[in-house]
Amino acid sequence: MSTEANDIDLLVNRRYEHGFVTDIETDSLPPGLDEDVIRAISGRKNEPEFMLEWRLKAYRYWLTQKEPVWSHVSYTPIDYQSISYFSAPKSDADRPKSLDEVDPKLLETYEKLGIPLHERAKLAGVAVDAVFDSVSVATTFKGKLAEAGVIFCPFSEAVIEHPELIKKYLGSVVPYRDNFFASLNSAVFSDGSFVYIPKGVRCPMELSTYFRINAANTGQFERTLIIAEEGSYVSYLEGCTAPMRDENQLHAAVVELIALKDAEIKYSTVQNWYPGDENGKGGIFNFVTKRGDCRGDNSKISWTQVETGSAITWKYPSCILRGDNSVGEFYSVAVTNNMQQADTGTKMIHIGKNTRSTIVSKGISAGKAQNSYRGLVRIMPQATNARNHTQCDSLLIGKQCGAHTFPYIEVRNPTAQVEHEATTSKISADQLFYCRQRGIAEEDAVNMIVNGFCKEVFKELPMEFAVEAQALLNVSLEGAVG
Amino acid sequence: MSAVAVDQNLLEAAVGRLAEDGLTALRKKALSNFGKTGFPSLRHEDWRYTNLAAAAELSNSCLSEPSPPAAPGSVDIGQLTAEIDAHWIVVSNGTVIPETLSALQEAGVSITPLSASVNSVEVHIDDPLSSFNASLLSDGLLIRIADNAKVEKPIGFLLLDDAETAAGLSQTRFIIDLGRNASAAFVELHRSSGNNAHFANSVIQIELGTGASADYVRLQERGAGHLQIGRLQALLREGATLNYTSIDVGGKLIRNDVVATIDGAHATANISGIYLADGKQHIDNHILIDHRVGPATSRQNYRGIVGGRARCVFNGKALVREGADGTDAEQSNHNLLLTDTAEIDTKPELVIYADDVKCSHGTTVGQLDKTALFYLQSRGLTLEQAKILLTRAFAGHILRKLPLENVKKYAHQMIDRKLDHLTGDSGQ
Repeated sequence: MSTEANDIDLLVNRRYEHGFVTDIETDSLPPGLDEDVIRAISGRKNEPEFMLEWRLKAYRYWLTQKEPVWSHVSYTPIDYQSISYFSAPKSDADRPKSLDEVDPKLLETYEKLGIPLHERAKLAGVAVDAVFDSVSVATTFKGKLAEAGVIFCPFSEAVIEHPELIKKYLGSVVPYRDNFFASLNSAVFSDGSFVYIPKGVRCPMELSTYFRINAANTGQFERTLIIAEEGSYVSYLEGCTAPMRDENQLHAAVVELIALKDAEIKYSTVQNWYPGDENGKGGIFNFVTKRGDCRGDNSKISWTQVETGSAITWKYPSCILRGDNSVGEFYSVAVTNNMQQADTGTKMIHIGKNTRSTIVSKGISAGKAQNSYRGLVRIMPQATNARNHTQCDSLLIGKQCGAHTFPYIEVRNPTAQVEHEATTSKISADQLFYCRQRGIAEEDAVNMIVNGFCKEVFKELPMEFAVEAQALLNVSLEGAVG
Repeated sequence: MSAVAVDQNLLEAAVGRLAEDGLTALRKKALSNFGKTGFPSLRHEDWRYTNLAAAAELSNSCLSEPSPPAAPGSVDIGQLTAEIDAHWIVVSNGTVIPETLSALQEAGVSITPLSASVNSVEVHIDDPLSSFNASLLSDGLLIRIADNAKVEKPIGFLLLDDAETAAGLSQTRFIIDLGRNASAAFVELHRSSGNNAHFANSVIQIELGTGASADYVRLQERGAGHLQIGRLQALLREGATLNYTSIDVGGKLIRNDVVATIDGAHATANISGIYLADGKQHIDNHILIDHRVGPATSRQNYRGIVGGRARCVFNGKALVREGADGTDAEQSNHNLLLTDTAEIDTKPELVIYADDVKCSHGTTVGQLDKTALFYLQSRGLTLEQAKILLTRAFAGHILRKLPLENVKKYAHQMIDRKLDHLTGDSGQ
């Protein structure tokens, strides 16, 4: 699976391969945001009253909020009134029941991405809930999942079919008052995925969603909610690509994970949205709130992310370790080049006893990009015997890029053991020299070193994603190292 | 929480009461600077863990009264300074005692009041506390060390704040200028008398010329009612070396800002410190090393031992600017937490805009190693003795590098006294 003879230059100079626009008619609301727009979104989705009320509450709260400025990124202010808050494929009325009914152009899009839906679904045993712009248009393997009692459906469907679960869990991890972008999302979220794993069930397959921003000027506001009941397990895969556009596209998603007693959720992301061109023109603004709540004892939430796209990434997948003996993990590779800016990291809030967390963050910064790790490890007074280990390493490629580390460590319990290490360097001349003198060509040596740098994170990815991550990084991994 | 702010009218009136001298223009400018910002609130990123409401409140109450007399109280200065052999300059409640100045006769050292030399130096008033300091400054000192001068005996600053009869407010400002290849050592000793509240705000500016080197040791053992905010603003030219160590055991609220700007290649900044806190003490160390030019080296090495209900903060930052290639920056911060009511907030930051750099940081918060404790007990020590031994060893990492023998000895005693308190305080 490895790609041979790629080097850092290729990585740095690679152009966005997925830059194309699928020409499907979309049914969008005109740009602008007010209570009527929210009512219209809610109305189109035939949402029950409680959902509309929640959206309106969030909107009214959002109006009182100011956009945060603390992150280490800079961009021209977003005009929230110039964004269209809803865009659905035209064929909304009669949504396809199977892949055969899916708009062939959509399938073509996936073909171009190198992820044929059929192939992927059948061969890899992955159910795909494809989010095309804002409305889910294809859901596969529903039957098999239903057999196991797993609910995996578009969020809008869950609102109608399972309102009791939505009422109980929506906003319980990320309240609508959480932050500026979470409030915005709560008000206008379009669609997303809903996953419910019943007690004691190990989800029979890896669940996967392909997000794709397609219509220009349309913000994509997904809402994902995953609930793992007692003793259950689920691995969820999220990947994203977006077509080439010149306007900046706003993306403000919210992901909520809830792991009850003895449950485990593994959430993996490969994010490859359009990063803008070499001069920083265009590209996606990716302002995401992702948070997992280890609500039950012995629960575990693991985040793995490979972030290569977006003009600006502002994302901190976090874990609230509430249950005793619960475990939080965060593995991240963030690559920025050209004019990309990433401010990403995690929060680990230790509340329960014997809670453990691991943070491994690898940042690679090239061109004129700025790459920041920002993380918080907080040990509350009641969290006896909490344990955290954090490692964040940055690799700099080029004279004009930046790599920054902002770790916050707050400890209020004397039995806690917290360790934090960070390094920043360019590719070591010594390592390179050693490889060269063993007869390895320079680019292969660079590949090896970069591979080694990211390996700790890649090994956490499910197989399919590891492959894609390799392709995205454009450097060979295991194949070259042997 | 409604933050208490310094009353600008009171401040203006207090500034007006100061005698007209060479500093008048500076005070005015600083006053206007301060008026724009006031004290930073908890919403300010650099102050998110340290609340200045008490300092503002104390300032307001002191500003409404005329300043207290400058004479040192009942303290025997000779006794305080006997253990460290140095040229001691005594600053009592922010006022330099002139006799202690005239005693200092060392070749290559010139000391002048700041009011007489303010036009020949740049006075730092760029942050709220520094402008607060300059606006209320009765006078400061300019200390120049001539090119190639090697000052044999360390120069000592005894900052003696008297809070015996009433609460007080004091501002101290020293500007130190080391010429080319000059070298000198400085000891800053904070002592106090009385148990009233006191707010001491000091700014030390130090510029190291090409090839110059300085050792600077700050020893702080103030009384329990003291709030102290101190800033060391250092500028390092080519090949200069600054070794700075700060030891905090006393005070109620302590905040130290160390800003070292590396402006010349091959400069070295070693910034280290220890903080020991118990009771309700709050000790905050903020370090910024600004690498403007490379290659250069910086080290930040801080250790903390926190018990009682104390809270300690460490914020280290290495900033490597574009073009500062060859920078080698390391930070480490290790903390021992002794009680479940104590808190550590640490944030070691790296902000890097150059690629040919070697930067790292390591931070830990934890307890004494159980196996080491067990080993010592197996050798016949009690658990208590083993704890004290290991805690001393933990602090010893910093103390061992102190430059002057009698300073080292003094620092050890300071730490030991505090440790007796702390380990007793920690209960089990």
